[in-house]
Amino acid sequence: MKNTYYLLKNGELRRKDNNLIVKACDGSEKVIPIETVKEIYIMGEVNVNSKLMTFLSQNSIILHFFNYYGFYSGSYYPKEKLVSGSLLVKQVEHYRSKEKRVELAREVLKSASYNIKRNLRYYNERGRDLEDEIKTIKNLRKHLDRQNEINELMGVEGNIREGYYRAWNKIVNQDINFEKRVKHPPDNMINSLLSYVNSLVYTTVLSEIYHTQLNPTISFLHEPSTKRFSLSLDIAEIFKPILGERMIFSLLNKNMINEDSFEKEMNSLYLKDSARKVILQKYDSRLKQRIRHKVLKKNVSYRYLIRLECYKIIKHILGEKNYEGFKIWW
Amino acid sequence: MYVILVYDVKLDSAIGQKVLRNVYKICKKYMYHIQNSTFEGELSRAQIVKLRYELDEYIRKDKDSIIIFKSRNERWLDKEFWGLEDDKTSNFF
Repeated sequence: MKNTYYLLKNGELRRKDNNLIVKACDGSEKVIPIETVKEIYIMGEVNVNSKLMTFLSQNSIILHFFNYYGFYSGSYYPKEKLVSGSLLVKQVEHYRSKEKRVELAREVLKSASYNIKRNLRYYNERGRDLEDEIKTIKNLRKHLDRQNEINELMGVEGNIREGYYRAWNKIVNQDINFEKRVKHPPDNMINSLLSYVNSLVYTTVLSEIYHTQLNPTISFLHEPSTKRFSLSLDIAEIFKPILGERMIFSLLNKNMINEDSFEKEMNSLYLKDSARKVILQKYDSRLKQRIRHKVLKKNVSYRYLIRLECYKIIKHILGEKNYEGFKIWW
Repeated sequence: MYVILVYDVKLDSAIGQKVLRNVYKICKKYMYHIQNSTFEGELSRAQIVKLRYELDEYIRKDKDSIIIFKSRNERWLDKEFWGLEDDKTSNFF
């Protein structure tokens, strides 16, 4: 079982004895067994050198960097080990052909909105009265089938998200006035949490894509652009409700995150280091949580569901089996 | 599989020193060094085979011994600290 490592302290990450060693500025150090590493999140200010990068490449380990404010700054994406020219050609074909692209994009949004609906239903059953919001989303989901343009689909998605966010004030016990999504910089607690957690989901998806033959830069729902791995954004859309947003509700409702967890700077809010650690620990255990898969008939972790999603897309692209997005079944 | 590995290397000569050093370095790649000559960690079946293959190159069959305690899952293992407590197996740092 390979593990994800989270480095929160400032210091240095080095290669030593064909192994990894972290030396923190406070003098403490930790040896990380290389065979157990899947990816490393660097949250503090850490020195790395090219010798380390080479070593990480040999072992197919991705580094994710976050800046001082906890924003995702980028990943060290080692040389691709799993490449497939024929799949790449087909992936591009699915992007170039409008029908094929819309088909995939629609399926992504359908499962994303289904998972959103399930989140609302969960809280509705626990006495939050979200009937109206659920009804709105149900209606909007029907619109998805009728749209044949990417930007129209995106528009419907925007409406779904808007209705979803409106429900948040009812779901969250704490008194946070959450109106709409604001980034750069986030202006209130929920926006700040969302920014942080979404970047975690995004990076997890990226790590899983790395271990498949898919090319992370060619996406279907989002416009493939330079500077980002937009296929991660596509797939993250499906998993944000279950991995990220459900966790945010639970963190806030259990009072694990509250006003004391934030630092106010100018007109924006940033998470304190201690709060970031709480979130990471919760997120890590969430990824490891296992559920019984109905088709595979075995226990799989939430993280592995992401990998399975990549495999399903590959099968669709190769024309083996039509893609059916992940929908919460439990 | 959750594994605890203990090794005993005979330090009778310069060769013994070399064996000890290599065994330590190899184990360190797979598991956490929790005490002198004791390692602990989660390994897959394949990793155990790989580890054994790497170690076999160095250990002397008539002098050195390595014991592996295997448990299906960390859950079936109660760990207690008597004295100094040290969480070396965490993935947060």
